[in-house]
Parts: sequence; structure tokens; C-alpha cells
Amino acid sequence: MWWSRTLNTGRCCLGCRRSGEKGIWSFHTRPIWSAPALPAGQITALQALDVWKRHFEEKGVPEPEHSSQHIIAHLLGAKTIESVEPQRLTEFLSKEKTEQVWQLCTRRLSRMPVQYIIEEWDFRDLTLKMRPPVFIPRPETEELVELVLTDLQKDPGAAEAHQTCLEIGCGSGAVSLSLLKSLPQLEAFALDQSQDAVDLSRENALRLGLQDRLKVYHMDVIKDADRMLGLFSSISALVSNPPYLFSEDMALLEPEIFRFEDYSALDGGEDGLNVIRQILTLAPGFLSNHGRVYLEVDPRHPPLIRQWVEENVEELRYMETRHDVSSRPRFCILQKEESHKDPKVDQD
Amino acid sequence: MAYRRLGSLLLRRSERIPNFQNHQHIIGKTDCKQPSHQYVRNQKQLHTGKPVMMMKLLSVDELFAKRSLQEHLQKVEKEYNECLKTVTYSVTEDGCSEDEMKAKRTKISLLAPLIQSIRELDKKQKEISETEMLLKDDDAALRELAKLERESCFQDIQDLRQKVLELLIPEEEADMSDLVLEVTAGVGGQEAMLFTAEMFDMYEGFAQYHGWSFDVLEHMSSDLGGLRHASASISGLQSYKKMKFEAGVHRVQRVPKTEKQGRMHTSTMTVAVLPQPTEISFTINPKDLKIETKRASGAGGQHVNTTDSAVRIVHLPTGVVAECQQERSQLKNREKAMKALRAKLYSMKLEEETNKRYNQRKVQIGTRGRSEKIRTYNYAQDRITDHRISMTVHDVKSFLLGEDLLNEMNSSLQDFSNQETLMELLEEGSQEEP
Repeated sequence: MWWSRTLNTGRCCLGCRRSGEKGIWSFHTRPIWSAPALPAGQITALQALDVWKRHFEEKGVPEPEHSSQHIIAHLLGAKTIESVEPQRLTEFLSKEKTEQVWQLCTRRLSRMPVQYIIEEWDFRDLTLKMRPPVFIPRPETEELVELVLTDLQKDPGAAEAHQTCLEIGCGSGAVSLSLLKSLPQLEAFALDQSQDAVDLSRENALRLGLQDRLKVYHMDVIKDADRMLGLFSSISALVSNPPYLFSEDMALLEPEIFRFEDYSALDGGEDGLNVIRQILTLAPGFLSNHGRVYLEVDPRHPPLIRQWVEENVEELRYMETRHDVSSRPRFCILQKEESHKDPKVDQD
Repeated sequence: MAYRRLGSLLLRRSERIPNFQNHQHIIGKTDCKQPSHQYVRNQKQLHTGKPVMMMKLLSVDELFAKRSLQEHLQKVEKEYNECLKTVTYSVTEDGCSEDEMKAKRTKISLLAPLIQSIRELDKKQKEISETEMLLKDDDAALRELAKLERESCFQDIQDLRQKVLELLIPEEEADMSDLVLEVTAGVGGQEAMLFTAEMFDMYEGFAQYHGWSFDVLEHMSSDLGGLRHASASISGLQSYKKMKFEAGVHRVQRVPKTEKQGRMHTSTMTVAVLPQPTEISFTINPKDLKIETKRASGAGGQHVNTTDSAVRIVHLPTGVVAECQQERSQLKNREKAMKALRAKLYSMKLEEETNKRYNQRKVQIGTRGRSEKIRTYNYAQDRITDHRISMTVHDVKSFLLGEDLLNEMNSSLQDFSNQETLMELLEEGSQEEP
């Protein structure tokens, strides 16, 4: 099966990055998916949009119109087709541009996500570099950042106090970089178990000029717990969009996700809580007093998390469940409560 | 009452023929040079040859010659003095309630700059009569000095009068806000959409000319490079104050690019200018909003990867809708849609209030009368005519750059509107008198 090859390459990415990445790219240059023939004469951007929209429709590629629009807008130096000057759409494309359109749109036939094809995407007010297999940030996570920002900005001592945040599973760096961008006094630590993610986060930080306030570690929250406890303390906010899919749901994912994104950024184990439980167990050790944990989770998770924390982590109090813009219970906020057992914590 | 009738009569007639008999003091001065800067600027833009503009702006001197204005100024000063007296006395006696006192104090601080200018003006006028005495003096050197003195006094008086007039005109609540500009193609199919695109560009140029920010919120283009509908958020000093005069129906007369037989077409487009409220001045209950995205159905989150980040927001109590797909970030689209929605709702609220206030107003300038045809762009004659003030300028191409020509027309509208407001104010004042 052709796609089992992708799976292998995808899996391989987690371990051996170089060959894995190369594998994916070389794979897509193969003419397995038939693209429409390159036009003999000149065509306009509008015509190219139409050709590819219809071709994607025929081949059952999801979001056929948006896919062709995003790719062509990108090649015209814009973010969305709406922001391309109208007259440019009716001008003829150069031969070179037409070839680029064909090359990139052909990749989409393999169901590669548009974000990987154009190698960038927007998250809040940042434009971030995207590269397989690093997880592509979803719009819900923009709301997670909003929650953290609102709290950190509300903090009365925020101006003088040194605020720090820790992100577990940073992927492309979207969350930490957004926080750093909005809070000029903040210092952030981020970690990911994937070297690809660590590299991409660092690259994005450098592009945005935020590298001085972001430290990125290649660490696994489950395997490297001791090392982490030695590194992080008195953190104001612990943020995470951990892998939270139930293992059984993995098979139902669209090919865009299933074939291209890092499984370990998605699969949260049987009940989707494997990484979440580990984070919550370690959280009191990282946080300052009244420091908070902000998690993005599956809509089925909040009551389970609340119950589990009440039974297992004495020092954490479950504060509230927040909903995403589509009214799904999506975010959990927890707070470290002052513990009188540990005098060291009281000094914080 | 007299002024109201006079004013509306003049305005209505002026659309057809100039009425020289009744209002010679207003209209008869068309050909002589006037010192008023407003007047000079108007003349510059006029049609060559015979003046087309029939409704005339009064000069500062003409306005000050009005008895009603003098009465109004006296009334304001009296009011100010009374407020001042109450506030000063109540320090010792507890006569007024706290709220009344507060209202009076606010009134004092509002009127203070005007009163100061009025007093300075009085002082200067006294000075000038004193120097006039000296002009009859026997000493030639002294006479020369008095002459100089008088000239500088004249200048000061002119400036002060201008200032008094400016201070008399109340600011509209929305004048200080930023705005959302909406353009929509009207009658005329593709040609109307092409014109709409040009107009949108013109206002982008106008924003740039004034150093305002121009941020596109919605942009729905047609296949031929035209524009069905678009909106943009504009912010900057006096942006609403100027842009509000652009609201209404704009008409274009030309041979469209799409026309094969070379026939002239008339098409229209509509401009709406909605003041953008600040967070504090206008709040929306989040419970009243329904936010629609492509991710609304299904599991969302890590389960789905979409590139369609369009957002549509419905305000349930009113059914008002705003949408945005300009950005790749869904949150950004939501913020922009929200901005457009707030502006729409706020302008509905303002319109309601304004309607109450201006119920009896005869001439509609500014945000009133959005459905009225306000301006024609005629390519064959290379002219633009604003129908509200019957003013014509030439050079459509330069006008569409959104620079000097548009700005001059816009300023004239401002001047006319100010005069209109002033007349209304004086009229109200005279009505109050028993």
C-alpha cells in the first residue's frame, strides 16, 4: 500500500529526522497523482484558480477552493486571495509562476496540508514557518493564548514581577511566541520531545526576534521528569496543548493529519489523558504559589480531569472549564494552592 | 422662526435659481473679493465662468452682523455667569443638589474657552474704537501709529471671530471616533462594481493623504476586477469628522470598459460611514452573539485541520451580520468581523438618536440621508459635482487619487455643514425667547 510507506516515513521522522523529512519530500515529487496538464498558452491567476479548484473537487481533495486560493495567493505574495489586488488576478501569470502553481498544487493532491505546502501559516498576529511533521497549530489554540494573556495582564504585580511561563509540547512555538510577543517582560521556557519541533520553534523565535526570551529544550515530559524538576521553578503559567486524542480516534483522522503530522503530538493514549496526567502530576513542582496551568483538551476531558486532580494532586485546585468559540468545553484552568506542608513553597 | 423659514427657503430655491431679490446681502457678493478664507477657498474650486454654486457661505463678518448671533453670544455669557455664581456661592451655602452642581461645573468647563474668546473679542473691539479716536489726532506720527495699531486689531478680531464661531458649533458625539467605511456596488452590474473598486481605492488614498490607518475588513471582488462590497476600518485624527460627508450614493456617468458599442452608462455605488465606538462607550452582550466558523460542527481541536478561517458573527436581537475572511488566522478574522459588527450596531443606535434630534432639519448633509444621491462623476465632461452644495470641480482622474481635490470638496462640505449647524443653533435660541 502506498500510504503505509508514508506512515513509515512519518514514524521514522520521530526518530531519525533527516532521512524522514527527505523521505516525505522526495515521495511527493513522484508523479503518482495526476495533475492537469500544464497549459500551453498563458493563463491568468483567476483561470489557474478555477482549473485547480475543479481538479481538487474531482480528486476529492477537501476545501478545494480554499486550497487553490491559498496556494496561488501565496505565490502572488499575499496571504489570502481577498488581499490580492483585483487587477493582478486578471493579469497573465509568467511561465515560471505557472509552473510553481502546478508544482505546489500537485502536492496538495497527495493530501498534504496547505500549511506544509506553502511552508507557513498565521497564528494570531504572527506568521510562522511550518514544516512536516511538526503539528500545525489550530484556531482553538489561539483562544488558549487569549486565556493566558488575559490572566497574566490582569496580574497586579505584573509590571514589576518577573513573569515566566513554561510550555510543554511547543510544536512550532506558536503559543510561547504569541505570549512573548504580547508581553514584553515575559520570559518563556518551551520543550518538545521532537527534535523537529525544537528546531522549528527556535527558527520561528529567531525570525520574530524573540530568541532572547525563549529557551527551547529537547525533552520528553514523561521520560525526563527529573531533569525538568531541576530546571523549572516559580513558573507563573504552565501552558500546554498536549496530545489529547483518544487512541481509537487516530484511525478516523483525515489523511492531511494522519499522513503528515507527528503522531506523538496527537495521540494521548487510550483515554487521551496520558500526557495530561503527567503534566498535572509535575505541575506543582514547577509553579509558583497561585501559579496556573492552562490546558487545551478534548471536550470529553474536563470532568475527567477535574475528578482525577481532586483525587490525585493535592496541591492543584481545578478552577474552571472554558469553552471555545463553538461552545465546546475546551480549556481547563487549574491553580496551585498554598501548601503548608512544604515551607519552601511558602516563601514564594 | 424667521430664520428657519428664510434658511430653508433659500436652500430649496437655490437648487433651481438664485434668488437675488430677497437675499442680496447673502448672494449678491459673488463677484467681489471677500476677506473670509472660506469664501476664497470656495471660489478657487468653482466651475470656470458663471458660478454654479447657489447656496452661499456667509463670511465671518456677515455672520457677526446678525442680531441673532449677538443675542446668542450674550445669552451664553449670561448662562456662564449664572453657573459660576451658583458654584461659587454654594461653597458656603448648601442650596443645590450634588448632581445639579456637577452639571453646572461641567457646563462651566465646557463654556470656558468660548467665554474667554468672547471677552477677548470685546476687549479688542474696545481697543479699536480707542485707536479710532487717535486717528483724528493732530500728530502725524501718532496717527501713523494708530493706523498700524488698528490694522493689527482688525486681524486679531477676525481671528477671534473665527475662533468664536468654531467654538459655538457643538461636536457630534461620534466626531472623535474612528470609523468603518463600507462601499457597495449599486445599479449598473459589472460597471458599478468597477466603479466601486475605484472609489474604495480613492478612500484608501484619502486615508493615506491624511495619515490615517486603512485596514481592509471585508473585500468581495467580482470576476472582472470589480468590487461587490468591501469595508475598511479607518482611524486617525478627525477621520470620522471628515469621512461622514462622503456617505451616500455616488453616481458615475461614462462609457464602461465592458461596453462594446461605446454608449454612455450611468451606474451607482453607495458609501456608508459608520463611527467606530470605543470599548467604553458601547458594549455588546456576548450572549447576544452567534459566532459561525467552518469548525463549528464535528470535534474541532486536534481532530481537524482546516484552512478556511472565515468567521461570521450574527447579533441575534437585531439580526445584523458581519463576516471576515481576509486573514489566515481565525482569531484575526473574528476580531475584524467584531469590529465591523460593533460599527454597524453603533451606527444604528446613533442613527436612531440623530433622527430624533434632526427630525425637522431640511437640508441633509453628512450621515443623514444615506440613500440620497450626493455626487456625480461625469467622465465626458471630466467633472465631479456634489449635489448637496451644487459644487463642481474638474479633473476626475486627480479627484480619484483621494488627494487635494477630494479634500477641498470635503472641506467645503464641512464649512456648509458648520454654517447649517450654526443657523440651527441661532434659530433654536430665538425660539426659546418668549
